[in-house]
Amino acid sequence: MQHTILLIEDKTGLRDTLQSLLELHQYQVITAANGEEGIHLATAHLPHLVISDIYMPVLNGYQLLEAFQAHEQLRYIPVIILSARSATEEVNLALAKGAAAYINKPFLFANLNANIQQLLQTSGAAPLNP
Amino acid sequence: MYVNRRQMKNGHTTAAQDAANLLNNASNIIAITSHEFKTPLTAISAAVELLAARLQSNQQMDAFYEKNLSRITTEIFRLNSMLDEMLTINTIMSGRMSLNKQIIDVVQMLTTLRSNYYADPEDTRTFELLVTGVPQGIYADHNQLNRIFMNLVGNAFKFSREKAPLVKVDFEERQVVIRVIDDGIGIPAADLPQLFQPFFRASNVNEIAGTGLGLSIVKTFVQENDGTITVDSIAGEGSTFTLSFLYHSDSL
Repeated sequence: MQHTILLIEDKTGLRDTLQSLLELHQYQVITAANGEEGIHLATAHLPHLVISDIYMPVLNGYQLLEAFQAHEQLRYIPVIILSARSATEEVNLALAKGAAAYINKPFLFANLNANIQQLLQTSGAAPLNP
Repeated sequence: MYVNRRQMKNGHTTAAQDAANLLNNASNIIAITSHEFKTPLTAISAAVELLAARLQSNQQMDAFYEKNLSRITTEIFRLNSMLDEMLTINTIMSGRMSLNKQIIDVVQMLTTLRSNYYADPEDTRTFELLVTGVPQGIYADHNQLNRIFMNLVGNAFKFSREKAPLVKVDFEERQVVIRVIDDGIGIPAADLPQLFQPFFRASNVNEIAGTGLGLSIVKTFVQENDGTITVDSIAGEGSTFTLSFLYHSDSL
């Protein structure tokens, strides 16, 4: 029984490492390199949770949040934003656009995982049968 | 804002405009590169955690690996706080700092800091908090006051090794006086006059990491919030940083 997480990050190295860390913690992971690819995968797979960067080519994290909010199914999927920018205005903007949590880069995986667990619990997402 | 190329070509900028543009460009470069540094730092930190997790799951983790992996993580986060200090000083120097003052309960802020503070995962001490008098509110920017406390408490931990630092809060007649006291390496008397200058580091800090920006940020934030800060220190015996802020008329 696994939860599916969609990981959207344009930096290949970080994306691969994070994917391995998440898989080691028993999550099923699908990945995208930008917001547009992320929206396609989210619509096709309806993951339990999304982890997304903000500054990415093609379609950024803010635009992704807007697209999720405007979509009747995607709007219920919690999105965790990972960003190197910690200015209050940027955090507030992401939260106002519907982000469920905002984590500053660099971060400890334990902190990210605590947020994932809490959001999966509160959103009541049932794990998929294998 | 970057220098307009056409303006430059036509020689339509004054020397003052050129200087202002140059400063602005330098400030933007610092802001952009500081953020860019965080991307590889995040990748390194995640890779170290993946390595640790893999060693753990393969039952190959031992004390040697654990100590050194945790040391890398500590240094990554230390480097990250240096970047944050650079970003803050850059915001101050470019005049882009914004203030959002509100009534603040100092004791509550320090209590929260006390339970959340962990700069060095290997240091298990927590600071002592001693309050006297009747608590009253002060009018200050929440983020800046928090940064002031985090920096002074962080230094108290960083430069002492045995006794936990002490934070004394005295609610006097018209003002609150907050003292951050440690029994660490102290500051040589000759260094005290320059202590709050940007990039200045006391002569006895040796290999203890830092940018020399922390206390200059603290001083700026204290002034922005109409407070005062002084330091008493004896090399080899410890330091006391004393802050004072007048009460807000509406109080808590």
